[in-house]
Amino acid sequence: MAKNEMTAESRFTKKDFRGVFWRSFTLLGSMNYERMEGLGFLYAIMPLLRKIYKDDDEGLKQAMHRHIAAFNMTVAPSPFVMGTTVAMEENAKENPDFDVSTINAIKVSLMGPLSGIGDTFFWGIIRILACALAIGFAQEGNPVAPFILLLVFNIPNVLTRLVTLNIGYNKGSAILADMEKTGKMQLFTHCAGIIGAMSIGCMIAMWVSIVCPLQFTISGSEVILQDYLNQIMPKILPLCFTLGIFGCVRKKYKTIYIIAGIVIIGFALGVLGLISA
Amino acid sequence: MSVLQAILIALIAAVSRSEGDWLGECKLREPIVTGFLVGLALGDVKTGLMIGAQLQLMWMGAVGIGPTAQLDIGIGGTIGTAVAITTGTGAETAILFGVPVAVIMQFLNTLLMSSYSGVMLVADRKIDALDFRGIRLCHYFCGICTFLAYAIPTFLVMYFGNEATEAIVNGMPAWVNTGLGGVAAILPCLGFALLLNIILEKNLVPYFILGFIPAAYVGFDLTMIAIAAIAIAIAWIIFMLRSNEGARVAVAAGAADDEWED
Repeated sequence: MAKNEMTAESRFTKKDFRGVFWRSFTLLGSMNYERMEGLGFLYAIMPLLRKIYKDDDEGLKQAMHRHIAAFNMTVAPSPFVMGTTVAMEENAKENPDFDVSTINAIKVSLMGPLSGIGDTFFWGIIRILACALAIGFAQEGNPVAPFILLLVFNIPNVLTRLVTLNIGYNKGSAILADMEKTGKMQLFTHCAGIIGAMSIGCMIAMWVSIVCPLQFTISGSEVILQDYLNQIMPKILPLCFTLGIFGCVRKKYKTIYIIAGIVIIGFALGVLGLISA
Repeated sequence: MSVLQAILIALIAAVSRSEGDWLGECKLREPIVTGFLVGLALGDVKTGLMIGAQLQLMWMGAVGIGPTAQLDIGIGGTIGTAVAITTGTGAETAILFGVPVAVIMQFLNTLLMSSYSGVMLVADRKIDALDFRGIRLCHYFCGICTFLAYAIPTFLVMYFGNEATEAIVNGMPAWVNTGLGGVAAILPCLGFALLLNIILEKNLVPYFILGFIPAAYVGFDLTMIAIAAIAIAIAWIIFMLRSNEGARVAVAAGAADDEWED
């Protein structure tokens, strides 16, 4: 690892890494079903590959073919993989005994765990928090709302890219191997999941509004159905509907069918006056 | 709607999709943001934001993960809000137009992503020719196609579809509105169900209950931030407890002879 840091000073400038950082934003630019983010990944690290293999055209071609291969992960922590990959390519160039197939093997092994953490953090926690903070302002028509949303989401988004690129290059796969071994990785994901699960539970209660407006009169006294439901538990209808749909999602029904189902059932219940917002 | 306004709406729709491609998923696609931008373009920021907030609630959990088809909330929110503002109606109209658009455009996305697979073969050949400019162009080409595939139809619908949309909105009987109210009430559940699908493992169910119950009984006196703070505290405690455990296990494994001392 110390060796990588030394070559970092000699071979790459700060500007090179800044380039990877900016290019990492276009990772999804040519998203497709065959290679997914492959071309985007190659595009991001291409200038650095060209520096590593500047006197070796054949090696450069092989390296570029390696990195246009299928790649897919949550975009924010992807610079970590880019940094690690560049460090490994340097090793591969310097010692001929290096087995280049390990480069893609390590890339693939990083995709899963990093996406797991990235999805939980960015989609489960940060995005929700950003939207939740902005919604109150937006409901009042306050133009500060979109800026709050963008800032709360993008500060972590940009910082993650900056920091993970450096760590990825300098410490590489050693960190992940270490975390994997001591079980820190799973623990970290689990703890992120705790925050996510609590936030979502809270959000369902606060932001989903489904009530039963049905009421009728039995022998002179008025019966409001929602009052009875509230006695069982407030917000019971949002909870039941969410868990029902969650069950469908877990059963791997296609999202399109689930949406169709919601539209049909929701429309029917709405027209019959059984539910309203 | 003037030509300029139609062009602006088309640009908002295209950018709300392309931010994922070129700006690192910076969330310009969220309905609050598109609602604000559409409001600016049509001269009614306040209404745009309020409709955006409604759509945001509905699409809280709508995130694209990997290549799986979900909802294209960027263009859905843009067109929905634009129609609602121009017809002078509310969030129901935005839902009526936004939801079908979000679904249809996701199909278009599937089509685009399939056809870009062909571009990869071109890029392969550019690599063999060491044509770096060609490789870059392949990457840009896909992005530009996506941008146009969103901007052009949006412009056409906005500029030429005015009478049609107005006829639909005005001709709608009241019972359709109550029905749509039902749909709009349930749709937010989908978002949260999709989020739960990413996160929820069996051992996280207690924490889900811990988040739901206080909010359900206390309501808005308890803010989202309070729950988030409690959640962070709990996660912190669990992390400390368990990481000590891990260290102890490691120590025990390292010095197996000393195990009896515990």
